[in-house]
Amino acid sequence: MSEVVELCGEIPSDFEKVDFSSNPNFVFENDPTFTAKQLFDEEGNTIFVNSFVECEHYVTGGWGYSPSKNNESHLLDILFYVVVALLVVTYSKNFVKRYIKK
Amino acid sequence: MLKKDYFVYLLIVLILFLPWFNSDSDQINFIPEISQEENPFYEINPCKISLFEFFNANKKSLFQDHYFFRPNNDSPINCFGRIAGISVQQKNLETQFIVSVGVNSLVNLLLQGSLWLLIISFVKKRNLVKKSNFLFHEIAIVSTTYLLTYSIYAQQRFYGTNIYLLDLSKTSSYVLIFLIFLFLTKNLIEVYIARSSKLINMVPFIFLLSGIFSGSNLVLFSFIFLYSGIQALFEKKYNKKIVSTYLVLSFWWLINSNGSFYFNPGKFRGFTNSVYEFNANLYWIVFFLLIVLGVLRELQLCLKYFNLQEFSTYFSISSAAILLTGLIGSNFPSINFLVTYYLGLQRNVVELINPFVFDEFGVKISWRGISPSSETIGEFFGLCLLINLFSILQKSKLDKFNYIGVLSAGIGLYFSDNRTSIFIVFFIISFFFLKANNQVIHIVKKISKKIKIGFLASALVIVYIFLQTDTYKFYSESLLGNSLLYQYDSVFSSYLKLLITSYEEKNLLYYVFGFFSAVGYLLNRAEMWGIFFARYNPTTLELIVGSGPLTLGQLYGEIKIEELSSFLLPHSSLLSYIVYFGLLPTLYGLYKLFSVMKNSKSNIMFLSVSTYIILNIIKNDSLNYFPVFLLYGYLLIIFYKFTFTTERI
Repeated sequence: MSEVVELCGEIPSDFEKVDFSSNPNFVFENDPTFTAKQLFDEEGNTIFVNSFVECEHYVTGGWGYSPSKNNESHLLDILFYVVVALLVVTYSKNFVKRYIKK
Repeated sequence: MLKKDYFVYLLIVLILFLPWFNSDSDQINFIPEISQEENPFYEINPCKISLFEFFNANKKSLFQDHYFFRPNNDSPINCFGRIAGISVQQKNLETQFIVSVGVNSLVNLLLQGSLWLLIISFVKKRNLVKKSNFLFHEIAIVSTTYLLTYSIYAQQRFYGTNIYLLDLSKTSSYVLIFLIFLFLTKNLIEVYIARSSKLINMVPFIFLLSGIFSGSNLVLFSFIFLYSGIQALFEKKYNKKIVSTYLVLSFWWLINSNGSFYFNPGKFRGFTNSVYEFNANLYWIVFFLLIVLGVLRELQLCLKYFNLQEFSTYFSISSAAILLTGLIGSNFPSINFLVTYYLGLQRNVVELINPFVFDEFGVKISWRGISPSSETIGEFFGLCLLINLFSILQKSKLDKFNYIGVLSAGIGLYFSDNRTSIFIVFFIISFFFLKANNQVIHIVKKISKKIKIGFLASALVIVYIFLQTDTYKFYSESLLGNSLLYQYDSVFSSYLKLLITSYEEKNLLYYVFGFFSAVGYLLNRAEMWGIFFARYNPTTLELIVGSGPLTLGQLYGEIKIEELSSFLLPHSSLLSYIVYFGLLPTLYGLYKLFSVMKNSKSNIMFLSVSTYIILNIIKNDSLNYFPVFLLYGYLLIIFYKFTFTTERI
């Protein structure tokens, strides 16, 4: 659900998840209080959603940030692991030095 | 040991070259040479071509002066080292290409920081300085890291436009930043401590390797002093009265942090507050205190390892390197970009190719090389000449480094056209020359008391007559005249109002400020200082105790003045520090410095250096640059404690 909040905003208090499978002709109603959001699928296709219900439906269905933003998040994750690895080397090097001295 | 060195060399080569080969041009068959017609290719292919591929397709860009390479810090990580965009502009008959090279602020921290750490690691270890308590050491490292991370949080307005896609309103975003800082701080401190006794003599290199992270308001070398400042607090090695007074003032500065005024750090990056707000003010208050305590602690620990000859040698080498790097960088746009990035400069290297050039009025155009300002680098070259003079006097002979230093600094000083520095250096050298010539000293000593009094009385009469002339009246009103020229509509700053009243009433301030104004006019600062006073809008308490250290946002944001052709800084460290600390602490600081000078009459090196520094900082923003602040702090304390008799070769 955190991804939904991140992409669609805070969950409205009156939000109820609707099962659309029973109604193949369902049409999403626009929410004038909701700021339109742009979502992307893995192939770079884009869609604008105009209500929280619609946004939540698409996000849970796999739509999300633009591929470039996803790519950046992925690279940031890699950067994170690189830094952690560097820190492990830094501290273990010091630890070994101290151990050898003793 | 040798294998380790090879590994370090390999790492440095990789850091220097690898990023600029990063490319995504697999599906591009041909990269055209850039022209006004071919610019769309680069517009529709952002972040595809590597910098190396661009150089390969545009060989002229390596050396022609109408190409300008600029880092775009707000690029995605995968765009690092690639061409993020190109804009074309026409300047008279010349078509200029501004090439934006993608870099990423977070990667910059890691990449630039690692390179600088590797470079420092080449300095031979001495391990002479006693290590501190292990627990305090680790706590100080983590505290420094926390403080640095807090600086990002406190200045979100600046970093929001410099860090790509990292949501700074989320706490989780700071985990990565904290870890990067921890890696840098931990390694830097370890590397530094083992070499601190050697590095004290290498301080002049900070003018070459400034260590400012691209896209950040941080200097790598400040981490050392933040750490050391925290250690000083643990060890209680500080002047309790001064620190207590500072804390009381801090309380007032924080209470007074009303409003929000953004200040683009520009060339002051690493040593100025980017936004006048509570959190940012708090960070810079703590930063300044720790830096001062850190500098004092480091000098206390390492002063005994100071060696004038070694210091002079490094001053000479750095002076020659600065001059050469500036000359090469200004002639080759490609090198200009790489030098700016890898040396962590405040500004790109000057693009003025010919340092001998004069303008249409026959006035020399000042050349700043790799420095952010021509006056600042002029001060550096002037100091290099002075230090070489002291070195030659100490050993009574010249070595090859003295030749290198005197030659490069002499040329550099001429290029920078810093006439104040030229004048003071000339005066000091003449003084030492006369002092060395016993006959002249003998004559001076022989002059009777009556003649001395006669000279003094004549001088006073001449000054008095001059003060009555219209010329002096014009000089003394020049600052107010300029302030009124730039004052906007009916908006008057509080200080300008005060000045107008004093000129109407002809009270004490009229005479004091009139003298200051005349000095400003003679130093060619009437316009700059006039603009400053048109802006300066302190409350009474702000005038007395300032608005907080390294904070110019309030000055530049509070009062609207007439449009200026370019952004202009105060052009006086004295005025900047009055904004930071107010009249009372600034004047007290000056008074203490003059007292120390008065009590050190026999220490001619200290007197020369301190006079040189005081005269220069009055008319230049120097003390707002971290390298200058550090070097001047070091020089004042070193030469106060150091005399020819304390060290023999």
